[in-house]
Amino acid sequence: MGDRRRTLLGDILAIVMAGGQGERLYPLTRDRGKPAVPFGGIYRVIDFTLSNCLNSGLRKVYVLTQYKSGSLERHVRVGWGPRFNHELDEWIQCVPPQLRVGQRWYQGTADAVYQNIYLLEQERPRTVMVLSGDHVYKMDYSKMLAHHEGTGAVATVAAVEVPIEDASAFGVLAVDDASRITAFQEKPETPSPVPERPDTALVNMGVYVFDTESLVRALTADARRDSRHDFGHDILPSLVETNKLFVYRFVDENRKDTAYWRDIGTLDSYYEASMDLVAVEPVFNLYDKSWPIRSMVSQLPPAKTVFAQEEPGGRLGIILDSLVSGGVIVSGGRVERSILGPEVRVNSYARVVDSVLMDGVDVGRRARVARAIVDKGVRIPADFIVGEDAEEDKRRFTVTPGGVVVIPRETRLD
Amino acid sequence: MPKILIIEDEKNLRVLYKQDFERDGFEVVTAASAPEGLELVGREKPDLVVMDIRLPGMDGLEAMSRVLDRDPKLPVVLNSAYSSYKDSFMSWSADAYVVKSSDTGELRRRVREVLAARAER
Repeated sequence: MGDRRRTLLGDILAIVMAGGQGERLYPLTRDRGKPAVPFGGIYRVIDFTLSNCLNSGLRKVYVLTQYKSGSLERHVRVGWGPRFNHELDEWIQCVPPQLRVGQRWYQGTADAVYQNIYLLEQERPRTVMVLSGDHVYKMDYSKMLAHHEGTGAVATVAAVEVPIEDASAFGVLAVDDASRITAFQEKPETPSPVPERPDTALVNMGVYVFDTESLVRALTADARRDSRHDFGHDILPSLVETNKLFVYRFVDENRKDTAYWRDIGTLDSYYEASMDLVAVEPVFNLYDKSWPIRSMVSQLPPAKTVFAQEEPGGRLGIILDSLVSGGVIVSGGRVERSILGPEVRVNSYARVVDSVLMDGVDVGRRARVARAIVDKGVRIPADFIVGEDAEEDKRRFTVTPGGVVVIPRETRLD
Repeated sequence: MPKILIIEDEKNLRVLYKQDFERDGFEVVTAASAPEGLELVGREKPDLVVMDIRLPGMDGLEAMSRVLDRDPKLPVVLNSAYSSYKDSFMSWSADAYVVKSSDTGELRRRVREVLAARAER
């Protein structure tokens, strides 16, 4: 332990908040929390934050879970546990509510950390990173930690610059010329502009670095007040008057023109972010070897297409502009601009377009699926049609404001 | 008249604190263990709790967190023979931390301060 503590990153504890219910992602969150929602074929939403931790050199990670956390716990333990070496004092661990401090569900993000204050007590890190497990982005936290050390801040908040007209949907940070945070604005009608770029505003990414003692003082004080017990709403605003609360401008490791940071908060934003991945030049690059995104690895056979009867009326297994996971078999069907999760099967003369099919979905012969999100294990019967008749779809399924059909797990369509 | 609950396992100290706080004009109830103290918090509705940390039945810091979980605004003054618990993060939830001595002056002063601060809010 002593050796790692001498390094900056060895004395940092990361706490990933993974207790969000994700109500606006329902029915994808019917049986799982938002961080556990599958994304991009083989990943879950939390994998992006955990990959950032790993790629940034953070090796002590607690994942605070709450609702429906069974599959998330398994994902972290089986998928992520082996990447951390206990012998070197590295670990990743899910922590369900212990009811040690409070006898209740977490009241907010700050309450979740407060109720687990004994974890900080045991570890006594110098610095704590608090991260959200429901965002998709690539960030080198070690750069932010170095910045935090350099300014002598009690806390540092990461922010992404967005066009000011888009900022009203988010938590906005008002800052002075020296990057000190002067106010927190929650979904403001008139967001404060960035001093040197008045056409943009700084949006709170939910990525925080704290001096541990300052964090504990703020949490214990907040626990005794009437508040929402929320980091963005209560804890950080309570630190403004220290004059040592700084913003850190997001440096995107995705290396594209626009910074990529997505809160996959709604079904439509989930769908749009998914469709970005199948674009010829996606904004979010999963293939950059310098910033690998990892997940739980399953040993599956290679994806396969069968039947090459190119004559009219013949069976042709074909996949275009799509992400295809392991174990997929496209047997005489046609797939375009779609994400196929592990072990999806698309049968003869079926057609899947602009859709997300999660693990094990089976599309029957001659079925047609368009603009749909189909959750794990659903069997689309032969000749079934999804995404062509909005009225018919609305009678049977969730249809988003953007017109995307969502078919939840275990839906019986036969 | 404000009511103070004193959770203290040493009988002599319980008697001493009760006597001194009553002389200061407080109503005083006492408990000899953490579980008994928790029960009295619910039943007696005290205005402030003075509690030891090393207690039979339950660690005093855990007992304090349970007290605060039921009523986050109930003032708590930790009163321990040891100053080492001041480093414990959980002890930071208390309104004050007093190191025990044979003279109750410091404890009584801090109790008055905490109640005054609470009244101002």
